[in-house]
Amino acid sequence: MSTRLTKMRWATAFGATTALALAGCSGGEEGSTSSDDPIVVGISLPLTGDFSEPGKGVQRGYQAWAKIVNDKGGLLGRQVELKILDDQSNADRVVSDYEQLIGQDQVDVVVGPFSTRLVVPAARVAEEYGMLFVEPAGAAKEVFEQGFKNLFYAAPAVANDHYNHLAEYILGLPAGQRPTTAAYAAMDDPFAQGTAYGLKEKLEAGGVRTVVDEVYPPNTTEFSGIAAKIAASKADLVVGGSQYQDGVNLIVALQQLAYQPKLAAFSTAPTSPEFAAAIGNKTEGILAPTGYTQKAPYPSNVEFVEKYTAQFGTPPEEDEANAYTTGQVVAAAITAAGCAEQGECQQKLIDWVRGNTVETVVGPLSWDATGKPQGAHMIQQWVGGEIQIVLPADAKEADIVYPKPAW
Amino acid sequence: MTSGALIFQSVILGLLLGGLYALLASGLTLYFGIMRVVMIAHSAFLILAAYLAWWSQTRLGVDPLLSLVVTVPLFFAAGVLLQRGLLARLRPATLTMMSVLLTFAIAVIIEGLLGYAFTGTQRRVQLGYGTANIELFGARIAVVKLIAFGLAVAALLTLYLLLKRTTFGWALRATIQHPDAARLVGIDTNRVAGYGFGLGLATAAVGGTALALDTTIYPSLHWHWIGPLMAIIVVGGLGSVPGAAAAAMVLGLTQSLLQIPLNTTWAQTIFYLALFATLAFRPQGFFGGRLAQRF
Repeated sequence: MSTRLTKMRWATAFGATTALALAGCSGGEEGSTSSDDPIVVGISLPLTGDFSEPGKGVQRGYQAWAKIVNDKGGLLGRQVELKILDDQSNADRVVSDYEQLIGQDQVDVVVGPFSTRLVVPAARVAEEYGMLFVEPAGAAKEVFEQGFKNLFYAAPAVANDHYNHLAEYILGLPAGQRPTTAAYAAMDDPFAQGTAYGLKEKLEAGGVRTVVDEVYPPNTTEFSGIAAKIAASKADLVVGGSQYQDGVNLIVALQQLAYQPKLAAFSTAPTSPEFAAAIGNKTEGILAPTGYTQKAPYPSNVEFVEKYTAQFGTPPEEDEANAYTTGQVVAAAITAAGCAEQGECQQKLIDWVRGNTVETVVGPLSWDATGKPQGAHMIQQWVGGEIQIVLPADAKEADIVYPKPAW
Repeated sequence: MTSGALIFQSVILGLLLGGLYALLASGLTLYFGIMRVVMIAHSAFLILAAYLAWWSQTRLGVDPLLSLVVTVPLFFAAGVLLQRGLLARLRPATLTMMSVLLTFAIAVIIEGLLGYAFTGTQRRVQLGYGTANIELFGARIAVVKLIAFGLAVAALLTLYLLLKRTTFGWALRATIQHPDAARLVGIDTNRVAGYGFGLGLATAAVGGTALALDTTIYPSLHWHWIGPLMAIIVVGGLGSVPGAAAAAMVLGLTQSLLQIPLNTTWAQTIFYLALFATLAFRPQGFFGGRLAQRF
């Protein structure tokens, strides 16, 4: 481990030296920032490869943010310009991309890529250069265990805190109604697993016994074995640490076995627009945490949904919103610090974000020392063929239905 | 701790899964029997058929089972063309090795075209009866799995009767057993091998459709399948269709039962363990004879 780190440091140092040398050759433009120059925002995104679908969503979010900011006259009177490179969903590529953006292209600020696996290496490069690093997609707890001092996750909560409102609700039920057994099935993926295990930890501490605890590889397409175990356990509640398709497959497999839990919660899948059709509209009572909904009443969200829809023709989803939120945090920091360039300014930006709360499309955000946001996700539930916010109480559109009706 | 109901349920799921495996592997073993070809692209054709079933259901509103009317003849023709146009042109001395490279290329082309046409997004056929189930002594049997199993049984039975009861079947088996001798008694082995290949690919059309009924599909899914299918045909005895079917049932059942004490990842390893054991102790396979000597 330590040799790998050393090697990486050397590689980074070498890359930095080369980049500096190249920058020197090309004339060295540092310090020539005038008020007419655009603020260049460097981003590396997975526009091709495994994460290309969410990657493009994140790209649209950033584009919407740049357009909305520029239409209002830019930041500090300067226009915002995005410089986006494609990392092909490759963690090695993402490192060289950020080296290039910071060292060679001399961008003024950088923001994060998509997926935990790409956020960590990218944040490490940004830290070497002392750059502020706000990111839209690193929700797993590993991201915050690396000791980064420049990283901030621009979303309401990390994966393990997604279900906090639900855990509170379940443990607050009177003893006679409270579920006593729980089954968990999670994808072997830091984000998906984090959501389910966050809830598991809290429920176990509250006395809800775990009767099934399954982990499946990301490419699993056959869920009848896992479903058979869950159905046979007759657990009161089932929790799926899912992305999209695995969640759909698991729910269908459970329904094929005629399993009827009192409560069913799945991450990500149930909030997708295609979800109801995918499981034949048998959605009754399914719960899901959500970091973003177009219906959230925050003022900047109303503007975002309206202008995004005008620009792209469809309303924004969570990936787009997270990217937009990232932009909002960086914009707030730049406006407050009064600068946007590499060097000392970056530390001012970092200090400002650490000490303040930013109003965003997902509500007010603030962070702890590791860059972890201090919130929890809203909980939505499918009721009568429609998904509605049911928790927390102050944001709810409908009352939570428990025990859930048969699906 | 493990209840009898769970074991019974797992046995049923395992048998249904084994039936599907048998169908998916039957074509693969047939190609090897006919001309000692390792057909890496077989699972890519399965996924292609699955996509066609999905496409006809979502875009044309046709039940995926009806898509078989088009895909089976289409795949048969593609198989004949593939054998006559490409594989038959490989030098016999390096046939097995080169067929791996050639069919690998075909697999990658199919995967690329599927990705181009339908993107990498995971797809699933959405059926009105997707979650319907039948109760049997406390266990539940999903209707879609039963249909897939029925398809497998029907396809394998047809294949069996074709090989055992028709003149073409005799010619094909003669070609598998001893091509030179078959030629001596007047069999046009080249033509027969072409049709045999078509037959193998036709099973891929049925298998892909059966697969699409109850699982998710995506363009690179075939890499996930080729390993277990290869393991099945080796365990069953290369070239033996009944051997592959028997191995498929045993491995499907074992995988399903292993899921009870182990998790999904470890239950999958049964295929590779069985493959190692076969190669180490009984390279000719457990169910077939010596390399495709008998059918």
